[in-house]
Amino acid sequence: MSTFEPVLTSNITKENSHTLDFYQSIGGYSAIKKVLSMSPLEVIDVVKASNLRGRGGAGFPTGLKWSFVPKDSEKPIYLINNADESEPGTFKDRLLMNKAPHQMLEGMIIASYAIGCHTSFIYIRGEFYREYMLLEKVVAEAYENNLLGDNILGSDYSLDVVIHRGAGAYICGEETGLIESLEGKRGWPRIKPPFPAIEGYLQCPTVVNNVETLSCLPHIITRGADWFQSIGPEKGPGPRLFCVSGRVKNPGVFEEPMGIDLKDLIFEKAGGITNDNKLKAVFPGGSSSAILTAAEAIDVKMDFEELAKKKTMLGSAGVIVMDETVDMVHACLNIARFYAHESCGQCTPCREGTTWLVKMLTRMVKGRGTLKDINMLFEITDNIGGLIDFSKGSYGKTICPFGEAVAWPIRSFVEKFKDEFIKYLPQEKVAA
Amino acid sequence: MPLLKIDSLEIEVEKGTTVLQAAMVNGIEIPYYCYHPALEIVGSCRMCLVEVEGMPKLQVSCNTFVGEAPPERKIEGKYDMVVNTHNDLVIQERKNVLEFLLLNHPLDCPVCDQAGECYLQDYSFKFGNAHSRFDEDKRVRPNEYLGSQIVINHNRCILCSRCIRFTREISGTSELFVEARGNKSKIAALEDKPLDNLLAGNVADICPVGALLSTDYIHKNRIWNLKKQPSVCQDCSVGCNVDVFYQKDKILRLTPRENHDVNGYFMCDIGRYGFHRFEDLDRITTPMARSNGSFSAVSWDEAIRKTADKLGDEGAKIAGIVSPFHTNETNFMLGQIINGPTGTLPQMNDEEIIYQSGFRISNDRSPNRRGMSDVCPALLEDLVSEIDNQDVRMIYVLDDGIDREIDDVWKKILAKMDFVVVQTYAMTTLAQSANIILPGPAPYEREGTITNDGGRVQWLRPSLPMKGESRADWEILMMVMKALDKDAQDFTDIGQVMKDMGEKFPAYDGLSFFRLGPHGMSLNGRANG
Repeated sequence: MSTFEPVLTSNITKENSHTLDFYQSIGGYSAIKKVLSMSPLEVIDVVKASNLRGRGGAGFPTGLKWSFVPKDSEKPIYLINNADESEPGTFKDRLLMNKAPHQMLEGMIIASYAIGCHTSFIYIRGEFYREYMLLEKVVAEAYENNLLGDNILGSDYSLDVVIHRGAGAYICGEETGLIESLEGKRGWPRIKPPFPAIEGYLQCPTVVNNVETLSCLPHIITRGADWFQSIGPEKGPGPRLFCVSGRVKNPGVFEEPMGIDLKDLIFEKAGGITNDNKLKAVFPGGSSSAILTAAEAIDVKMDFEELAKKKTMLGSAGVIVMDETVDMVHACLNIARFYAHESCGQCTPCREGTTWLVKMLTRMVKGRGTLKDINMLFEITDNIGGLIDFSKGSYGKTICPFGEAVAWPIRSFVEKFKDEFIKYLPQEKVAA
Repeated sequence: MPLLKIDSLEIEVEKGTTVLQAAMVNGIEIPYYCYHPALEIVGSCRMCLVEVEGMPKLQVSCNTFVGEAPPERKIEGKYDMVVNTHNDLVIQERKNVLEFLLLNHPLDCPVCDQAGECYLQDYSFKFGNAHSRFDEDKRVRPNEYLGSQIVINHNRCILCSRCIRFTREISGTSELFVEARGNKSKIAALEDKPLDNLLAGNVADICPVGALLSTDYIHKNRIWNLKKQPSVCQDCSVGCNVDVFYQKDKILRLTPRENHDVNGYFMCDIGRYGFHRFEDLDRITTPMARSNGSFSAVSWDEAIRKTADKLGDEGAKIAGIVSPFHTNETNFMLGQIINGPTGTLPQMNDEEIIYQSGFRISNDRSPNRRGMSDVCPALLEDLVSEIDNQDVRMIYVLDDGIDREIDDVWKKILAKMDFVVVQTYAMTTLAQSANIILPGPAPYEREGTITNDGGRVQWLRPSLPMKGESRADWEILMMVMKALDKDAQDFTDIGQVMKDMGEKFPAYDGLSFFRLGPHGMSLNGRANG
């Protein structure tokens, strides 16, 4: 573990790391040469063997996702690069786009080749205007150098890349919401089945991959699946970008192996808690993950399995640190406001439930809560997204995972910091 | 075929059937809001969640398709799918969804037009909680007009998006959309593109709650006061199936009735609001005779006698004007009386409209042109010259009740006539030139069969009682027939007219109201059909 060397972000501090010249000088675009000599199925097999799991949030095995695309499809196949990074506490894709855009583009070419796609999209978050302007240049550069367009590098494989800007909705980062938005419609997630791999963009087979997932691909191809598989835990290996923010001395993106101790991440990489305050709670994987208390946080490894055991998730690996100065009820209200604002409004539980939570929490913060409300917070969150234990019928109450993304963190706040919620109740009501 | 087990029921279903469809067909109630058989499935209301064995999440039954499971995955060795629609988990989930849906609902059933046929009301009673646990302020918004005939009460809206999908998939006009996001979402239309297409009225029908309302019906009555009569729309030759809602002698509203061979689930606004035309009409309710240029009421006996006296003249030729607005039986009966040339009033053409979904409004705005031609095959294009040729001096007109201007051709015809009988329900220009007026029923009072332009014979059922002394059209004609010929066949009800008609026109053989049923019968493939 001590020998871990960053690969995705190894060159981001260098000058002009975003240029094609620089990327080629460090051996960039050699992976696609290799890939173009392989068959698409071989590429999928390598990625499957690497056990790469999606970096966007759900952690779905990438190779498996690709293999769902029908091999004999008469319709065109599309790859969408999900660059709509909007999970609170997550800012890794932006860094990759800013500093290593060609790495991402090479990953897109590899993925497109593997699934047989000839038109690929970058769905970039609307607010990322600078990154958008940069990517336009990067893509143009790639076209000029025959890395995109017809007959890439003299092969008979052709690929076009189109950049599409989002319009500022969190839900458009959800893959079917993204596809709807890309089609020019309202970003309302679609009901599944059919899954995007069968009927996605324009009812054609579509794969949606995250920026970081795609950025891993050139390295997997160059260094081999065994190399990737050897980093971190077996069931979810590889390097991972951890975004540490909140009450830490040195917030930022840290590339570390999967399975790093959360404690190390916070106290070593991010330099510890601001003012050396006491750690109170941590979101391990963006605001959609259930929070961990300090006791839980110092004793957990950042990998899919370990965090699932703690009834939370690795998500987008956006680590948000809260120290003793943080008021958990206000923090909870803040999270609830975010989700109420971003709920697309399609499914009943999410549309109505999120606003109910905000109204109730606001009332509690103003000192007009009752003991019953605390119980109701559990009930409402359970009815929007259910428990985190995945027991039968306890989740999947909405079309997309937004329901769970609201319910899990809010439930964890109330569950783990109930005392603070009770402190907000008018005293006479507590006594009664 | 896949074997499906829903609750305790074992059923074989077509591959690809949804659980919801299978349940509905087999009498198992699964509540739902956003699903509509004519519209795309979105699965957003979350009301139809059921438990499917082997699946960790509850599934929306509207989007759960039953397929063939491989032998090793059959449940209990034989079922392709096992569904539970009312275990504790599902029952609790329905309560939860209903609780969410009612959070901001004003619970104003006592003043809501939908009350009595509201799925929010019905499901709340059946599946919901008795008490609200919502202690916050409700979201309140003013009503808005979406179009000139459709108003929306946002507070009652559950955002099932049926209306939006209707305008996108059925009318293809896309006026409606969702404005804003999340809990602020609301159904809206642009100011310069309001919901004013000719199918707009349907959105009020498909709205499962009291959110979309037709301004034509709003606050007019309560649904439980109304009687419902299945019938057929008479405003164009498509013949949409409708339900007529009426109280005593007043129609309150028309809604489309499902018939996949004719109109599917919908109807157009021309037909929907068409009944108003007959409301303030100056009706003729007694037989009338003209003497010295003015009409006076006479008894039926006298009217029939006067008519028969004239028509019965030795060797007299009688011309007949049949009507595409009248039933097959009426036209047939007139065909039996007249011995001269037969014609019809000039066709009034309008625009033909075909919507994206194939829904059609015919350019022929009469309901029974096909049937009229079937039972009166000798219709003449050029009636005038034939009247001249045969020196016809008498004419019996089935008036369509539309007050049209009399053109020169008709002026010429009428000028030739010594005796004009008009069977009508309104004092049209044509009726004013009559010697005898015989009062019949107006549309929605008539009974009989009509044949649409696709050759489907449908049962036109009366909703309203006939006014005053007016009598059924076939009955009037029979009285005339009997007065002319004492040996003529005696019909005691319209069924006998239909039987006689079937004998003379084999395409209509064996027709009866019973056989027509609610959805009619196609003439295609029948002799001379």
